[in-house]
Amino acid sequence: MADLLTVGALFAAIAVVSILAARLGTSVIPLYIVTGMLVSPTVAGELVIAGTDVPAIQTGEFVEIGAELGIVFLLFFLGLEFNLERLVADRARIVSAGTIDLLVNFTAGLAVGYLLFGTPLAAFLVAGIVYISSSAIITKSLIDLGWIANDEAAPLLGTLVFEDLAIAVYLAIAVALVAGGSGVAGLATSVGLALGFIVLLLLVVQFGSEAFERLLEGTSNEFLVLRAVGVTVLVAGVALAIGVSEAVAAFFVGMAFASTSHVERLERLLEPVRDVFAAIFFVWIGLETDPMLVMEVAAFVAIAVVATTPTKLVSGYLGGRAYDLGPRRSTRVGLGMVTRGEFSLIIAAVALEGAGGTLSAAVAGDLYSFAVGYVLAMSVLGTVLMQYSAPFERFAVERFGTE
Amino acid sequence: MDVIESDLPGVGKKHEVELGDGQVLVIVTHNTGQRELYLKADEDADSEKLLQLSDRMARMVGTILEGAYFQPVESEHVETMLSDDTLLEWYAVDETSPLVGETLASAHVGRETGVTIVAIQREDDVLSAPDSGTQLRAGDTLVVVGDRDSCEAFEALLTGEETEE
Repeated sequence: MADLLTVGALFAAIAVVSILAARLGTSVIPLYIVTGMLVSPTVAGELVIAGTDVPAIQTGEFVEIGAELGIVFLLFFLGLEFNLERLVADRARIVSAGTIDLLVNFTAGLAVGYLLFGTPLAAFLVAGIVYISSSAIITKSLIDLGWIANDEAAPLLGTLVFEDLAIAVYLAIAVALVAGGSGVAGLATSVGLALGFIVLLLLVVQFGSEAFERLLEGTSNEFLVLRAVGVTVLVAGVALAIGVSEAVAAFFVGMAFASTSHVERLERLLEPVRDVFAAIFFVWIGLETDPMLVMEVAAFVAIAVVATTPTKLVSGYLGGRAYDLGPRRSTRVGLGMVTRGEFSLIIAAVALEGAGGTLSAAVAGDLYSFAVGYVLAMSVLGTVLMQYSAPFERFAVERFGTE
Repeated sequence: MDVIESDLPGVGKKHEVELGDGQVLVIVTHNTGQRELYLKADEDADSEKLLQLSDRMARMVGTILEGAYFQPVESEHVETMLSDDTLLEWYAVDETSPLVGETLASAHVGRETGVTIVAIQREDDVLSAPDSGTQLRAGDTLVVVGDRDSCEAFEALLTGEETEE
């Protein structure tokens, strides 16, 4: 199939499911993944209808680079919307809710990961996958349900801000660990390089805001977009070339732009760019997934779902209490935090990089399939829990009273 | 009146306006410019969504609320048309009115405005055809006859505001 035709078919498939998602009122992320799975060679490629082969979409160079850009722009936006002053101003509450969330869920993830995959590195990756909730899906649900105007929005969004910062540091370490190196010295070098790179970028964020301001001064929309994309993708590319996480680099570039006066224009103009590439990323995740392999790790997924749904309920509830909310609203915080999504998938993509190196090909493949199955389950489960929160709220009020 | 502003990371900003009777109006302004209006029946209630507005619509509605297009004249009266240009109107005298304590003669109502006070409702009584020595008190309701311009002039005199031109 001609390349342009492949890409066209891919975008058409994305357009169709986005219409479907709007009709059903559900989040698009799980649907994008399922779409990718359905059009992939492992599903569509195997089908024969009326004697003719059904055409499948291969992951080509464009889709792979597009997916990579999706990661870059997702993290760039995280940085762009990340407000250090906001975090500092509200630090007491955000830090206590965020720390509870991190300790409870990361620890649970380590235990589950080690139990299922048996290696420390796999356990570390699973810990990240189950720790990080989905900002995109949770924020959408908050708006759809009208919770955004209620008191429970503050701890939910506050904890997500904490997670965003934690995941930036986590990804830097995870990428370094997966890239590995020979022996302890090699490992220390790659982790050291990753942390050194973060410090360098932090310095750029701290002292370079004037340069970023000047870069974007007085430009038309067209040039604003081109300059921001130019800087972001270049820095991400440099990071990847020296073996550091491109996602983390993009996060800090976003933070640097956030301190300029152009932040609102950037958000408005770059949002569609992010959405296009993020969609490619989610479909690529699906394309890379063999549904049969997901079925094989279904028991693993089930164990993780059973183990890590209650941990988010508990940590979210305690987070709500740290914000002085009553049991009813704290329960909603717990239910809201259950949803995992885009960032868990980014970690899954990192795991894939380690196949045949720091992770055996079998473990990397299983880990990837596990992450996709887990995200599909948790994104749907979390959204449903939020929609049908009433019985949980009643239970909490009966159990813990109204204050 | 308290307005509480808070950030909604990744979404926009939230403003909570206390409406006085325990109700809270919540305005969520999205980064995209879209506004959502919610009403909370009390501090602990869930927010009920009232409506959502695009950026342009929100600005227009805001301008109307601000009174840029039409400012109603502050008055508590009921008017009745006696003929094409003669009105029978009721005005409440509140405590801040400069006419409190004046008599009908000392207030020069007729000369200043051209209206005639035909009756005064005071608590349960009605003083019909009050004479020029009758003193006005806070809480009175005045029944007034005059043309529209005169009535407007009287309202300005009663509330102590300059007539707007």
